[in-house]
Amino acid sequence: MCDSITLYGVKKVYDSRNGPVHAIGPADLSIRKGEFVSFLGPSGCGKSTLVLMVAGLLPPTEGEIRIDGVVVNEPRTDVGIVFQTPVLVDWRSVLGNVLLQVELRGLDPAQYRAHAVELLESVGLGEFLKQRPYELSGGMQQRTAFCRALLHDPPIVLMDEPLGALDAMTRTRLRDDLEKLWLGSPKSVLFVTHDISEAVQLSDRVVVITPRPGRVEREITVDLPHPRDFDVRQSPEFLGYVKDISDIFMQYGVI
Amino acid sequence: MAAPIPFDTERYSQIGGIFAKLGARVKASRTFLLATVVFVVGWELVVYLFEIPSYLLPSPSNIAVEFYQNFTIIWRSTLVTAYETFAGFFFALALGIPFSLGVAFYRPLRNTIYPATVALQLVPKIALAPLMITWFGFGLTSKILIVFLLCFFPILLNGILGFSSLGTELTYFLTSTGARSKTGFLKVRMPAALPQLFVGIKWAAINATVGATTGEWVGGDAGLGYLIKFTSGDLRINFAFAAIVTLSLLGLFLFYLVVLVERQLIPWHVSQRSTSGMV
Ligand SMILES: Nc1ncnc2c1ncn2[C@@H]1O[C@H](COP(=O)(O)OP(=O)(O)OP(=O)(O)O)[C@@H](O)[C@H]1O
Ligand SMILES: [Mg+2]
Repeated sequence: MCDSITLYGVKKVYDSRNGPVHAIGPADLSIRKGEFVSFLGPSGCGKSTLVLMVAGLLPPTEGEIRIDGVVVNEPRTDVGIVFQTPVLVDWRSVLGNVLLQVELRGLDPAQYRAHAVELLESVGLGEFLKQRPYELSGGMQQRTAFCRALLHDPPIVLMDEPLGALDAMTRTRLRDDLEKLWLGSPKSVLFVTHDISEAVQLSDRVVVITPRPGRVEREITVDLPHPRDFDVRQSPEFLGYVKDISDIFMQYGVI
Repeated sequence: MAAPIPFDTERYSQIGGIFAKLGARVKASRTFLLATVVFVVGWELVVYLFEIPSYLLPSPSNIAVEFYQNFTIIWRSTLVTAYETFAGFFFALALGIPFSLGVAFYRPLRNTIYPATVALQLVPKIALAPLMITWFGFGLTSKILIVFLLCFFPILLNGILGFSSLGTELTYFLTSTGARSKTGFLKVRMPAALPQLFVGIKWAAINATVGATTGEWVGGDAGLGYLIKFTSGDLRINFAFAAIVTLSLLGLFLFYLVVLVERQLIPWHVSQRSTSGMV
């Protein structure tokens, strides 16, 4: 399969009031079409920065990013983004928020309605289409955000710690939801997290990033069958991956 | 899995909701009504018991009688003041909102006209009132301009704040859809700015009657402000109080008109979700 996203010596240095902050890089990496890649690293190592650069929302200081061979130098509209918080708007219902994705693109929401409902039903929100975001729990809001990121069927999905703000129980449930969504229509996914077992459960490949300035420390291919349900997660292989990655962070003194 | 909620059930619960809301509203306004009655009766009693002369503080019943006797002139004055108030207020709305948009999204405006407006705002409006009269005469124009001056700034300031406070991540989302700026404005930026904008509009609504009255006071021959000045000068305090009460009612009317529109436009906002919230 061919590459979907490629990073060539990508580096970001922020100009802050207290002088330049070297956030990440230089990083070289490629993500194949349909591959689920996790970026795993401690807080502040530049993961969000990387996501924004891939989306074309932030220019790299050095190096370049290519998507399907084309240099990213303006905001990409063919990506779906999920942020750490749901970022829904209160003046629209759950369904309305999902449809906002296509309405903003100038597309006819009526044509996407069925697909939106289908997506929402697949994550258990079928009965909440008409509710407003503030009437939902945090986990339900984040699921709505997943659906919004997928509605326009983007070939690339960027997720910046989408489960970060949720409690452990909800995280586990949403992980399964995410896995299901991804198995339903494989896309190139760049998934940011600092939860090791989350990365192992979801990813084809885990990219371990060092503390700031973030560099690619190691890439680990996770060779386990999907869906990685409860049994798989208890298997020695799964736990082996988790331990290997934990060891890396131990060495850095992060955990 | 997820069984769709039958249409009529939802409808039914909606109607139930309306009744519940109405009930809460009636309850809330009953408390308010009770407080008002207690206040008016208390006032009446204090004036009666302490035998306060009516040239110091007339009793509500005296004011009511005076209001009834002079209804025609009070009504005519009210129309004048109301005209000035509403004209200046809507003029400020019509200019303030586009202006705040311009300042929020267009740097040259932010660097030129905005500081100039702030500087103008630092001058007490009451000091400008005689100037307005000199420039624009004793008629309606000068009053409308004073009202405008008092209403424009709160709308501008809160509009700017509203339009430039879209969250970083929501902005990223908006950008990533490649939305045309008009679409993005109508579907995201405008609704997101409305709650803050309404803070300014309510503030302006309160200022509006103050502006009209000030104008009439400084130089005018009609309106409630003029009537108050004239009658209190003649020591007809009952009459003056009747005009003052009418003026307050006019101010309240405009304010609640804005609150009503706000309720319709942003029922989703935190401040509007329960009837126990602030107005
Ligand atoms: N706009 C900015 N201006 C200056 N410095 C910034 C800016 N954004 C981020 N940084 C710095 O860059 C570094 C990386 O930030 P980033 O948000 O990418 O980290 P992260 O890996 O996503 O962390 P977390 O896991 O906590 O979300 C941090 O040290 C931060 O202080
Ligand atoms: Mg981050």
